[in-house]
Amino acid sequence: MNILDRLVKFDRRILFVFVALAVIIPLLIPIGLPVDITRPVKHVYDRVESLPEGSIVVVSVDYDPGSEAELYPATEAFLEHCFRKNLRVYMMGLWPAGPKLGNMALEQIAPKYNKEYGVDYINIGYRPGGPVMLVSLGRNVADLVRTDYAGTPIDSLPLGRAVKSARDMDLVMTLSAGDPGVLHWIIYFSARYGTPIATATTAIMAPQQYPYLSSRQLIGLLGGLKGAAEYETLVERKARAVAGMDSQSIVHLLLVAFIILGNMVLLYQRRKK
Amino acid sequence: MKRTLPIVIVFACGFFMIIAFFIPLRGFQDVSQTLQNWYIGVIAFFVFIGIFNLVKVNVDKIQRRLRDWQYNVILLIFLAIMMIAGFVGRPGGGVFLYLFENFHIPLGATMFSLLAFFVASAAFRAFRARTPEATLLLIAAVLVMIGRVPIGYYIWHGFPDLVEWIMTVPNTAAKRGILFGADLGLISMALRVLLGIERSYMGGGKE
Repeated sequence: MNILDRLVKFDRRILFVFVALAVIIPLLIPIGLPVDITRPVKHVYDRVESLPEGSIVVVSVDYDPGSEAELYPATEAFLEHCFRKNLRVYMMGLWPAGPKLGNMALEQIAPKYNKEYGVDYINIGYRPGGPVMLVSLGRNVADLVRTDYAGTPIDSLPLGRAVKSARDMDLVMTLSAGDPGVLHWIIYFSARYGTPIATATTAIMAPQQYPYLSSRQLIGLLGGLKGAAEYETLVERKARAVAGMDSQSIVHLLLVAFIILGNMVLLYQRRKK
Repeated sequence: MKRTLPIVIVFACGFFMIIAFFIPLRGFQDVSQTLQNWYIGVIAFFVFIGIFNLVKVNVDKIQRRLRDWQYNVILLIFLAIMMIAGFVGRPGGGVFLYLFENFHIPLGATMFSLLAFFVASAAFRAFRARTPEATLLLIAAVLVMIGRVPIGYYIWHGFPDLVEWIMTVPNTAAKRGILFGADLGLISMALRVLLGIERSYMGGGKE
């Protein structure tokens, strides 16, 4: 029995072991591959850089723990950039678990820059209603938002009083893992009120955003963990995303090897017939 | 009446919202805003329907002692624990936050990380160039997989630009075509619902 005959029948758990090793070994022994910067990520960075101090950035955390590995590093990197530029962060979420994840990032990053809750940043929590909620939010925030994430009346907080409608929002950054998410922000918020939208999405969603990038309905895109790694490199905050790039590179090469092997088996089976 | 009244309500509300989009007069906008607020209130109730459905399905499996019914018991126990922790504790803190950060987040991330292993298995077993179109798809997939990670840039500095071209030109063209088709279908379906031709939402069939 030659090697290709063995490959036809072998146990797929052997593949799982290879994948596990490809993930673990580069994490323990980093290679340090350089992270290149792509245009969609640079556009997000440049837009934030161009905002004057005190501008209000809405950060919509639209993902759950399942997508935390890809989008949480992007959340932290983006917040780091906003606070470094002295921008004010208005956090919310279209998914129930999103604002809690966002709050974890705020608690990590805000103290580093001595930011004060209610003045420099605020978290209004989960808002149900998807597209209809976004239309109402852009028109009149007070119709929907009475308290923040912890139950504090929104009017008692300076940043809460400062945001009355879409006119007060200078940029929206949606960290999106599905529906509701970036598509709703583009269609129901940006198209109506003209607020620029940037997004960080999971890698699998990233190709779907290119039509909106091309038509400038999105100003930029952080796609998957690589996008987060690029942003971490730009803001000089090499953390989880950059650390994961070595593993991701090796796993991708491994998948390509599996594809090539699988097609060699296919050719062999065809010849045998 | 039972079948006519919902159709009339859908028609009236639906066409009013369409007209209100184009008419900026205060009266129209106020009514439109009220309807939107009612919608958001109704949506919030769906959370309760979801919980009720979850409990009903799992209790049914436990009562009938279906395969792995013990996992359904564990699910219901943790549902109850999270609900009690959320209601009893302070908003955004306490036991609920501890359970969320130390159980829910790691378990959710673990579930999705299993996909990496299944993708590896699929790459070997299913990503086969059986037809010319499949071959083209595979070549594009391999180029994107290598070009999208730092090792692609390391192998050849032009790789990311090649991948960006694939994303920006053929991918965007194909996605646009799909979006146009899907959105035209959506408009057609919306008109059918507004006009009462499509009544599946009532539990009935088409006219």
